[in-house]
Amino acid sequence: MSRTGRLEVLLAALLRNGSWLASAAIGLGFTLALIDSRFGTQNLAIVPNMRIATIGIVLFILLPSLRVLLMLLVFIREGDFRLAVTAGLVLAMILLGIALGIRATSGLAG
Amino acid sequence: MDTGFTLWLFAVSVAASALGGMLGMASGIFIVPILTMFGHIEIHTAIGASIVSVIACSCGGAAPYLGKRLTNVRLAIVLEIATTMGAVTGVLLVGIVPVRYLYFLFAVVLFLSAQQMLARRRDPVLASVPAGAGHWSAAFQLDSSYPDRELGREVSYRVQRLPLGMMLMYGAGLISALLGIGSGVLKIPAMDTAMRLPIKVSSATSNFMIGVTAAASAGAYFMRGNIVTAVAGPVAFGSVLGAIVGARILMIVSNERLRLLFVIILVALGIQMLLTVFGIQFSKGSL
Repeated sequence: MSRTGRLEVLLAALLRNGSWLASAAIGLGFTLALIDSRFGTQNLAIVPNMRIATIGIVLFILLPSLRVLLMLLVFIREGDFRLAVTAGLVLAMILLGIALGIRATSGLAG
Repeated sequence: MDTGFTLWLFAVSVAASALGGMLGMASGIFIVPILTMFGHIEIHTAIGASIVSVIACSCGGAAPYLGKRLTNVRLAIVLEIATTMGAVTGVLLVGIVPVRYLYFLFAVVLFLSAQQMLARRRDPVLASVPAGAGHWSAAFQLDSSYPDRELGREVSYRVQRLPLGMMLMYGAGLISALLGIGSGVLKIPAMDTAMRLPIKVSSATSNFMIGVTAAASAGAYFMRGNIVTAVAGPVAFGSVLGAIVGARILMIVSNERLRLLFVIILVALGIQMLLTVFGIQFSKGSL
């Protein structure tokens, strides 16, 4: 198998398993929340099981960053430093986006 | 947020994602208008939910394309510099751009998408003789090939006009962050017209990139509290299921009928969004 072929197999496994895990967490969280509310019209947003669903959402948000991190590590290992730097820049951009969100939140709090 | 509303969110997301998935379009373009106009959800919360569903569909749908060697992962990571830069710019603008302008921009994107859907995409690789390798493309070894089952052979392609493609991708990232969509409206001209990639490679690589582009703004939306689990959860879960259903239906329904249905829905949602900008509403959503 070629070097790039190996990377594709690794990426497919990460994205497939990560998506299943995140979807399962969201599905489980909402199912438990629905059972808790006994199919009535209670406020789902305050049911504690929604935390499991929130973990699933956070997993989905983190999954693309993990994918870029995996690419960074594989490119470094293969000695493909141009693409490794590129992957590093993409990761930096994602982190910058989060930092801007935190700054906006602290701005609102202040 | 009651159980009935949660189930409505789930059902709407399954339908929107199935519809989008049937024609290779992310569901965000339907989700945000439906959540704001019919679910009366605040637009930033709708965008937050949509951006999670965009990531979910991108990650969930990537594996088969990677397995068939349709995704150009080297090109994707290079273009992602531009899309994430655009997304970070979008994050900076989110709090500044008035909500009325967001509705207007969304209407424009819906009309442009309808127009693109009407115009058939021509496969640039099959339509022309490959040109010489570009400087950047050669430096990053972006030219590649893929196995085409219909043609029964390996199809080689060159990545052309990378700087122009990256400029369009910057715009795609910006729109993605502002509106919570996959931005196919700019990615299609970037991939087809500027870089002249084969449609199959273009679709697979674009789908692969959408998740990372969306992640650059999703972190900010999450930190700002715009990603509400009670809304984003059923939307993301429904979108993943819808994408699977859409891919199955695609195999049994006529593509031409779907294309027409798709155009009608896009134009109807665009008109509704435009009317909202001017304060005329059929439903009681709020700006």
